[in-house]
Amino acid sequence: MLETRNLDKSFGAVHVTRNVSLKLERGERRVILGPNGAGKTTLFNQLVGELTPDSGSVHLAGEDVTALPVAKRARRGLSRSYQKNTLFDGLTVEENLGLAAAVHTGHATQLWSDSLAKSEVREIVAEVAEQVNLMPFLHAKVSEISYGVRRQLEVGVALATRPLVLLMDEPTSGVGPEMSKGFHDLLNNLPRDLTMLIIEHDMDLAFDVADTITVLNYGEVVFDGLPEEARGSTLLKEIYLGSWENA
Amino acid sequence: MAHDLGFWTLQALNALQLSMLLFLLSIGLTVIFGLMHFVNLAHGSLYALGAYFAASLAAVGGYWTGFFLAPVAVAGVGILLYSGLIKRMRKSGSMAQVLVTFGLIFALLDLTRIFWGDLALAIEVPALLDGRLGFLGVEYPTYRLFIIALGLAIFGALAFVLGRTQIGAMIRAGVDNDAMAACLGINVERLFFIVFCVGCALAGLAGAVAAPLLSVTPDMGLQILIPTLIVIVIGGLGSLKGAIAGSLIYGFVQTFGAVLAPQLASVLIYALLAAVLVIKPVGLFPAKG
Amino acid sequence: MFRHNTLRYAVLIFLAGAALFQALTAGYFGLEILTEILVLAILVLALDIVAGFGGMVSLCHGALAGVGAYAYALLSAKAGIAPPVAMAGAVAVTGAAGWIIGAVCSRSHGIYFIMATLAFGQMAYSYVFEAPVFGGDDGLGGIERLDLSLIGLDLNDSRTFALFCLALLGAVYGAAVLILRSGLGRSLSGVMHNEQRMRALGLTVWRVKADVFGLSGMIAGLAGVLAAQHVMFISPGLLGWTVSGEALVVVILGGLGTLVGPLVGAAAFVVLKHELSAVTTYWHLVVGVILIAVVISRANGIFGWVEARWGARIERRVADATRKQQPGEVARDA
Repeated sequence: MLETRNLDKSFGAVHVTRNVSLKLERGERRVILGPNGAGKTTLFNQLVGELTPDSGSVHLAGEDVTALPVAKRARRGLSRSYQKNTLFDGLTVEENLGLAAAVHTGHATQLWSDSLAKSEVREIVAEVAEQVNLMPFLHAKVSEISYGVRRQLEVGVALATRPLVLLMDEPTSGVGPEMSKGFHDLLNNLPRDLTMLIIEHDMDLAFDVADTITVLNYGEVVFDGLPEEARGSTLLKEIYLGSWENA
Repeated sequence: MAHDLGFWTLQALNALQLSMLLFLLSIGLTVIFGLMHFVNLAHGSLYALGAYFAASLAAVGGYWTGFFLAPVAVAGVGILLYSGLIKRMRKSGSMAQVLVTFGLIFALLDLTRIFWGDLALAIEVPALLDGRLGFLGVEYPTYRLFIIALGLAIFGALAFVLGRTQIGAMIRAGVDNDAMAACLGINVERLFFIVFCVGCALAGLAGAVAAPLLSVTPDMGLQILIPTLIVIVIGGLGSLKGAIAGSLIYGFVQTFGAVLAPQLASVLIYALLAAVLVIKPVGLFPAKG
Repeated sequence: MFRHNTLRYAVLIFLAGAALFQALTAGYFGLEILTEILVLAILVLALDIVAGFGGMVSLCHGALAGVGAYAYALLSAKAGIAPPVAMAGAVAVTGAAGWIIGAVCSRSHGIYFIMATLAFGQMAYSYVFEAPVFGGDDGLGGIERLDLSLIGLDLNDSRTFALFCLALLGAVYGAAVLILRSGLGRSLSGVMHNEQRMRALGLTVWRVKADVFGLSGMIAGLAGVLAAQHVMFISPGLLGWTVSGEALVVVILGGLGTLVGPLVGAAAFVVLKHELSAVTTYWHLVVGVILIAVVISRANGIFGWVEARWGARIERRVADATRKQQPGEVARDA
């Protein structure tokens, strides 16, 4: 469903992505682990097209999308959430979801009808609000909901474009362990055919949702396999414990 | 069109003279923007004030009194504006700044009319700089050569100050990242104040030297504003290099455009600006990437 | 996102009533001022759509209106095309110009966007000023008003013309509301709130900006056509950047992003200008000081200020009401 081949990127002398090749099957839920500065978010930015790789390619559902701009990749079914909330701050939760859904249904550029009043759009909004527990907050403005709820909305907005592949950049960043667990239950309840790539910082939490695990270190894939294998890997412990000790 | 070499030399000198005048104006505006992120549309009005001060002072004490004191007087006005208005607008968005300084243009325009009247004033070129000088095989007005020399001298001085002195390093640090500069112990507020005053003084100087070439009218500030803005947007905000490059581009395109394609001359520069903004939306040499 | 509320409806009804009363009762001079207000109101509605709901602060809307005025003059007076067709043609030309400007400037933000639109406006100004076909500095005269004698209206009568402009302003206001409430308008406000996210969701941002700027250009063009028909003479000064600046001042004085506010601003600005210039030739000074005061006060213009106070009062009343309810509930729970 989503594949990268030999992706490579440098900023000047800093080599941030080294020859990364990943392959996600349809419905696969893969977690990317790695210490701070391992190049996880940079990899995401290249997947969605916010950054152009120096070499290598990105394939979505069998199509080479490396040359496509952000918006076109999104319309082909690639959606992302951000590590730092990137919402429509002055608007309500419902409007946030509606704007995203309208892009998917094609009502976002229509002049003759109100996209937010369209039944297709409203259906998606209701469905997504149910999926990410936003029902009680639909009419609240983003500024009126708590940080944790905003994190849910961050993922909800990405979901409302009805993507084939959902990329989530640390969805639980900044929320406590208790809420993170709930968040992962919520992700586990999403449709099984949705392919997910999730950046997660906390190893234990990652095992809640992952079918497969990729570990990045200094921009390089150092582990690619099943969670059980990851759990036993000494290499992984070294990278992680090393980074913990340094931190 | 058959023109000899002398004609082209003359045009080149005209272009250079226009460029230098614009450089004096744009450097203050661009560094103020780069350092303080402040858009001062009233910069042109300060230039007009400089011309008026110079005209009044010249009537009393001769040209050089105006030349030296007008920038000081304009810097004084700058201090008033800074402490009364601009300091509190620093943290506002660019639109609020554009609007406040647009209001200032209105106010200063009428204030100059109240103090100096609606009639155009004129200043004599000083005896020392009167007449023409043989230069590269053409006769060229000495006063215009003086403007070119003055512009180059100021450019040299600023390049030295910004590139080689401690205060220059502080200004560059402030343009690059003012929060970081403040952390390094630089008194950013004072730096802003100094740069703002110097910028105003240079605008006043530009007005004083332009006064003998043009007639001094209340709307001269409005007329120069657009060219100045074009210069700093083409050049890229915040940098000395951008200001000089933008000034030269404007001066030469405008002057040679008028000779080579009189029909298109005035459209040409705007088309160039639009092209720059499309290709490099932040100008040719912005202070930060 | 645009919404009507009770206050907005009330002000709209009041403005419409006042304009209608003025149109039916005023003498020649009053009608001239009213028409000036109505035409300016159409222009600032166009500007509020892009600036207030799309974050695109344009300094070329005066020039766009000027393009509309010149296009109408050339089509009707020089090319001899029937006024209604010429009017539609002029609106189409300005819409196309607006679309192109919006598309080209779509990548610029903040001060660069302002400068880029300024550049386009000045480009149009210089071209009109220089090209002989536009009559240069002398301008063009002999511009005809629309002939509506078929339905028994004589637009050369200033009262009828004022009513005609009022009707068009009403239509434009309705169109503006429809644009802002359309899918396109919703996406536009999404872009204003978070352009990066809209792009990441799959929206072709530049197209939305260009489309809305084009629609806004059509409205500005209509204002220009009406201005030309009103004065029956046009000069390049119409396209100067200070006209665009004044339009922006009106939007700000009235209340950016409220649609109703700019209407209030237009009326206040024109009346203030006429009252002041009757007393002093230094009316720019007064307008400048008022503008500075409004921006420094951080209120969103006259209407924005009223609306904020009105909103605060409603909230207080709601808070009071809930406080009164609470003791009862507590008692029931106990």
